[in-house]
Amino acid sequence: MADAAAIAFRGVMKRYGSQVALQPTDLEISEGEFFCLLGPSGCGKTTTLNLVGGFVSPSDGEILIRGQSVNKHPPYRRAVNTVFQNYALFPHMTVRDNVGFGLKMARVAKRDAAGRIEEALALVGLEEFADRLPAQLSGGQQQRVAVARALVNQPAVLLLDEPLGALDLKLRKRLQIELAQIHRDVGTTFVYVTHDQEEAMSMATRIAVMNHGRIEQVGTPFEIYHRPNSAFVADFIGESNFIDVDVGPGGRAALDNGAEVPAPEPRRSGRATLMVRPESIQIRRIAEANGSGLRGRIAQSSFLGSHTRVAVLCDGVETPVTAALFGTEGAAASDLRPDTEVVLIWDPADVVLLEGAEGKEADAVDVN
Amino acid sequence: MASPSSEATQPADVALPLGRPARRSWTARVGEYVGFAPAIVLFGLFFLVPLGLIVCYSFWQTVDYNVVHHWTVDNYRYFFSVPTYVKTVWATIWVSVVATLLTLAVAFPFAYWLARYVPRRYQKILLVLVILPFWTSYLLRVYSWLNILGAQGAMNRFLHWTGLTDQPVSFFLYDRPAVILVLVYLYFPFAALTLYASLERFDWNQFRAAMDLGATPATAVRRILLPQIRPGLTTAVIFVFIPILGEYLTPQLVGGARGVMIGNLIVNFFQGAQYTRGAAAALLIAALIVLLLTLFRRSLEVEDPYGT
Repeated sequence: MADAAAIAFRGVMKRYGSQVALQPTDLEISEGEFFCLLGPSGCGKTTTLNLVGGFVSPSDGEILIRGQSVNKHPPYRRAVNTVFQNYALFPHMTVRDNVGFGLKMARVAKRDAAGRIEEALALVGLEEFADRLPAQLSGGQQQRVAVARALVNQPAVLLLDEPLGALDLKLRKRLQIELAQIHRDVGTTFVYVTHDQEEAMSMATRIAVMNHGRIEQVGTPFEIYHRPNSAFVADFIGESNFIDVDVGPGGRAALDNGAEVPAPEPRRSGRATLMVRPESIQIRRIAEANGSGLRGRIAQSSFLGSHTRVAVLCDGVETPVTAALFGTEGAAASDLRPDTEVVLIWDPADVVLLEGAEGKEADAVDVN
Repeated sequence: MASPSSEATQPADVALPLGRPARRSWTARVGEYVGFAPAIVLFGLFFLVPLGLIVCYSFWQTVDYNVVHHWTVDNYRYFFSVPTYVKTVWATIWVSVVATLLTLAVAFPFAYWLARYVPRRYQKILLVLVILPFWTSYLLRVYSWLNILGAQGAMNRFLHWTGLTDQPVSFFLYDRPAVILVLVYLYFPFAALTLYASLERFDWNQFRAAMDLGATPATAVRRILLPQIRPGLTTAVIFVFIPILGEYLTPQLVGGARGVMIGNLIVNFFQGAQYTRGAAAALLIAALIVLLLTLFRRSLEVEDPYGT
């Protein structure tokens, strides 16, 4: 098993009584990945992390770390370390002793340990704070100690359980960059749990979007954003317009009132939902329009600095369609007064057709 | 301790300060300390004064059942000249040590389990159950053990019923093991409540973190939990060990002649009108306790785990 995955789930399932926390799941995370488990609270992402960490044992299936089954291993015998949500630093120990705790448990010789502790503290930029107690550090510094305390043990996988959740927005952004930097420096596999899609998008090499104890989709941030496989994923990641249509061969998509809109070739004809990102939409005046497009009336146009948001009430679509216009297009939008009649067009390649059940779950989204 | 005037006392009638005046006049500053007055009166009149008397008594003489104000150290010399008394001191110490350790050995797992695993709403119910024995009198609780350990007691009936014995066994009662057993039972609530109070505040995530870093559960308890609840442990030891040192009812009722502790010696001295010798024995316990408290003080000095 030379090139075994860092983590593999084989039909892993977790049940609490009649409550299923994690549906039977197959998953492989490769060495060196920055893998994000993303989803709303109660979606099973923390259960998944705890299954890897050994704090929860699976009801069924097998968990492998570097090709070895760890089902029967307690947390203290697994080659994984965790950065906890509230850091869980030991308040009675100095930063140095906190970081050195894992090495002490592994009976690493004192001199080696001292060197590795210094290295780990240097990695997170806290060399000067080694003799402080955790309570004498700021939240961001405590978070860095937690990272150093876990990484110093050179784990096969570093688990991070919403590690930035307790910090304010600015600090969170800075630490996101730092964590991605640390990931590149050490090359360790990171598994990162978060409910913040922006956080996941900014750091992850791959994202697993979870909902109701199930992995909805696994892919790179690009794939997840541009090719969501369900309305849930499309709605959870970024902003989307959902338009119900009847599709037919040749990329024909008709609204309930019969008007046709641009759409890709469907897998089969019938009822479907068209997912259009606001930035994929272009706005044309009635006079300039030719061919198919979504006719509507401007409800509101808001200049937001980097872009202009335009809400359009469209015939045959229930909710207003949102378009985001950037650059010169945005500038040109300034004369789009409310009640102007317009046509919305998009490149069929930029939209996603959610067919059958894929389109059904958009309402179930609850972002914390 | 054997204070001669241990009757219930009325606290002095002193008005408690209400709020803090904005103007800090001389009277206002005195007012801030008025709250101490009842306690000072209570402890001054009914603790310090009697203690002073006991000290004096211990250096006086008893002649024909009368206390004579003649200074001497004979009472102390006498106490140490009787081998039985010295042996009783040592026995008292080891009974207290063993009983304290056993009490903690029962109370710690209980408090640990209660604080860590029991849902919060059931914790309160279980805590009430722990305090429930206090609703009955101390004497009754000790007496009830006679019905369990005695010749006609539950233990003997059970052994007889199982066929293990055909004669009642008196082994259970009237010796030190019986004393220790009853003491553990009596002092368990004190230790359990004290330990629970400090375990309840412990962040169990640290426990997960320790296990995550390779510590077995036992190591996590030793290196992460115990250092942080040390003040609670010390308090529990003090609450249990010191009262047990002065116990006299339990050894008298269930310990019999072989279960005697210093407390019984003191009572015997006073009942035999040997007030000055009793006073000396009482002060010896007091000295012992002060010595132990001084030793404990180091671990009581809580280094602030949250830094300063």
